[in-house]
Amino acid sequence: MIGIFHIAYKNLLRKKTRSVLTVLGIALAAWVLTSLLGFNRGYQNSLNKDIDNLGYQMLVTAKGCPYEAATLMLKGGTGLRYMNASIVDSIAAQPEVESVTPMLMQAVFDPNKGESGGISAYLGVDPATFPRMKGTLAMKSGAWFTDPAAREAVLGYEAAELEQREVDDMLLIPDLDVEIRVVGVLDRTGTQDDGTIFMPLAAVQEIFGQAGELTGIGIKVKPEADIAAFEERMYRLPDVQVVSLSQVRNTIMTLVSTAKVMVFSIAIIAVLISVVGVVNTILMSVMERRQEIGILKAMGAKARDIFKLIWLETVILCAAGGVVGSALALGTAKLTEVFIRGVLPFAPSGGLVAIEWTLALFTLGVVTLIGILSGLYPSWKAGSVRPLETIRSEVE
Amino acid sequence: MKRLFPESTGYKTLYVSIAKRGGDALLREIEARLGDPFKGLYETIDVPYTMYEIYRGTELVGYIHGVNQKGSYGGIQVFCAFDTLGTVRAFYLQKLTSKGAKRFREESFGRQFVGMSLADFYRYDPVSGAETPPGRVSAVKNPAPEAAADFAAMLRATKKNLVLVDEFLLDNRHLPHFKPAKGGAR
Repeated sequence: MIGIFHIAYKNLLRKKTRSVLTVLGIALAAWVLTSLLGFNRGYQNSLNKDIDNLGYQMLVTAKGCPYEAATLMLKGGTGLRYMNASIVDSIAAQPEVESVTPMLMQAVFDPNKGESGGISAYLGVDPATFPRMKGTLAMKSGAWFTDPAAREAVLGYEAAELEQREVDDMLLIPDLDVEIRVVGVLDRTGTQDDGTIFMPLAAVQEIFGQAGELTGIGIKVKPEADIAAFEERMYRLPDVQVVSLSQVRNTIMTLVSTAKVMVFSIAIIAVLISVVGVVNTILMSVMERRQEIGILKAMGAKARDIFKLIWLETVILCAAGGVVGSALALGTAKLTEVFIRGVLPFAPSGGLVAIEWTLALFTLGVVTLIGILSGLYPSWKAGSVRPLETIRSEVE
Repeated sequence: MKRLFPESTGYKTLYVSIAKRGGDALLREIEARLGDPFKGLYETIDVPYTMYEIYRGTELVGYIHGVNQKGSYGGIQVFCAFDTLGTVRAFYLQKLTSKGAKRFREESFGRQFVGMSLADFYRYDPVSGAETPPGRVSAVKNPAPEAAADFAAMLRATKKNLVLVDEFLLDNRHLPHFKPAKGGAR
């Protein structure tokens, strides 16, 4: 016995081109929707990961020197501003603070770096707190410093590659002629740490004559702490300024949100167009088959049976489009990512488009639901066909 | 490019690696011709080499290629410009961290390499630092005796550069000058 699903399927095959084009329209809408949802999720995850990899949620710097790296690039290391190390204790005493890590960035001009010289930068970190706070940093070889004031260095992956350094090799701080032993090389992280030369804070302070001075303090806040209130209090500290990484995260998200709203609007329009296309296709099909439906009713089919048949045809079209679109989105995720990286002003490291099976199933569910809703009117229209009228119109 | 080849009007970039051109067998051949095995984490079979063919109009006038070499205090990047026969016409240190950096960068140091080819360097053993019999490589003077290791690294880098250019660009035209060490590749 032929089931209602089989009849609906056969009906769709009677107009193959039309059915395929309708499925294609729905598939494109599903593809755009899945890719955008995947981008939304992937971008947020990558940005959070990048910020979490920093290990701290707030960075305190001397007033007028918000970004050490930017200062180094713009002023060749001469514009760095310092704060006294005594501030570390007062920040650590705050109830919201879980831990703090003081840092001192120093740089020298190396005339033998590249075509016209370049800056070599060294980040002095506290061996007792920094590696613990930056739990995501893993050693490729070697270990962290043997002594808090040792003339030793741990190199980021790319710094080691560029300098061709391995554990036990030496580094030379140009100009000062100070030799540093490499004791560790870090695994690749995909962050700015890859290009950094880490040294013990006390050693950097001594070598560069900056005893008791710092350029930055990383602050890790307790999970239960009210970060907003703490930030407000920190902003009132004199002579220093606070860069909140949640603020940075929000700024970046605001920057890309305008673009995201536009693209989501396009996706919604694409879905709406495909809904109209489905309704149009099914309505045309119903109009063409009025006599056939009339005969079916004259032979005993009830309005409910006709409604179910047409409704099922709509759902089959939408579900097929959803499957094709979701599969397309899964298959082209990498390509989408390459495209987005090309057009986005700031893209964090890591996967930008995160499309998983759950997301593909979600889109399939949404598209099928759209099919169920958009099939209601054509199905009702078909179910309300009057058999005698349609058969008579054929005879006339 | 214009400084090394003032007459040039254009160039082509070639990307090659030992892994893609011949794999392990080629690596062993190149190591034998260099006289020293590739070492360390960053001198490996899959290192991509970027080589430049220099043109004046449609005429090939020479090549430029640079190699990385481990120095005492950091990576040394040795660039050479070659004529179409593989003879050095310019020697240039792109990056160098060394106690003798300033003296190595002086033009007089680089000028000592001009006119040399792989035929000269085949006699130079980068492991012992000796040239047998003494020839043009032995005549290259180290301007910074306190940085002897970096000087030796530059000679090794130049020989590596010449071997790679001969292999990838010159169809091994200098191979007849190569006399394998007893016992084959080290």
